[in-house]
Amino acid sequence: MMQMLMDFSGDDAVFGHFGATGGYALAARRAMHDFGTGPETWKKIAIGQRKWANLNPHAMMHAKPMTEADYDNAKWVVEPLRLPDNCLISDGGRAIIVTSLERARDLKQPPAVIMGMGQHNPSTVIAQSDWMAGPTGAKRAGEIALSMADITLDDVDACQIYDCFTYTVEITLQDYGFFGPGEGRDWLEGGTIEPGGRMPVNTSGGQLSEAYFMGLTPLAEGAMQIMGRCGQRQLGPLTHTKEPKIILCSDNGGILQSHACTLLRRL
Amino acid sequence: MSYAKPLPRLNSDNRPFWEGCTQHELRFQQCADCGHVRWPPSDLCPRCHCREVRWVNSRGIGRVYTFAVYHTAYHPGFAAELPYVVAVVALDEGPHLLTNLVDCRPDEVRCDQPVAVVWEEVTESVTLPKFRLLSPDQE
Repeated sequence: MMQMLMDFSGDDAVFGHFGATGGYALAARRAMHDFGTGPETWKKIAIGQRKWANLNPHAMMHAKPMTEADYDNAKWVVEPLRLPDNCLISDGGRAIIVTSLERARDLKQPPAVIMGMGQHNPSTVIAQSDWMAGPTGAKRAGEIALSMADITLDDVDACQIYDCFTYTVEITLQDYGFFGPGEGRDWLEGGTIEPGGRMPVNTSGGQLSEAYFMGLTPLAEGAMQIMGRCGQRQLGPLTHTKEPKIILCSDNGGILQSHACTLLRRL
Repeated sequence: MSYAKPLPRLNSDNRPFWEGCTQHELRFQQCADCGHVRWPPSDLCPRCHCREVRWVNSRGIGRVYTFAVYHTAYHPGFAAELPYVVAVVALDEGPHLLTNLVDCRPDEVRCDQPVAVVWEEVTESVTLPKFRLLSPDQE
């Protein structure tokens, strides 16, 4: 294990820098400096997603509600990130079957249709980046996907955002254009992303509160919501949210070094 | 007592840097064509793809681009130092260097604060470049 950590970290380990939490803590700190975000914003993301997990019996954090005090009192892992800012560690798997629309029409389940995709990969050695506070790859990837689908953000009914850390959700939504730099805290106010909110985000609980299956946590949830297979947490009348006709899903790799955006729609 | 933390792994790319540190010099590759000063060392200039380089010394002065405060020991060698500060320092010559800030309390550190290199001789053959905070009048 130690050898693996050191191989992964290279000479960063010499200075006690290891793994993903440290890397995202560096990015989150620069964002605090550049546009005034911080734990008060990230807390709303952690708590909002936990509310969705509490409607999902498969979620690791089902039946474990999170209060503001729970968040505020949680230990630092690598400051400015506390334990609930970190995704879960999960054993398991998830799969998506991709086929032609022609074949999908004959299947028992209604399909989720891919209407747009975009990728953008800044790729730089992360310490050399000067965009830790954005724009990340999400900006260009989102533009490409929306353009391919010929829609705007106003057409999106819900988002499934790759959430290795709470800050990743904020910077991704910000770079897609849902709000301006530093406006996330106000945008999130009043339960925007929660059950009953106007822009539901990570409706399974996400990687923060359901389970970590890399890019498949958000993408599978997007497909399941479009297909109407989400039980208690199903978007629409049951959760007092918009009918999910179009869902935006994101994926992200490295320390904000690669980004993919996928737009799914109902048939 | 022997040094209990990970040591840099020298190779043909980074050897001039780490050998420079033992002389208390911060050495970086500079592209002979476009002048870009780069880190980490590489065969090609990431800006213009030129292969020719010269090695130049940094003054060891820069600013905190960002930092993180570790409250978790991912390696037992760091357990006694918690909480400690990992920082990315933007050197005046251009490169960002991942390092530690020393001789300060974590709550004193701010992004864009000026810093200067200090040298920590950890073994007979390895010296680490770390940084300390400068007051604005020391820049």
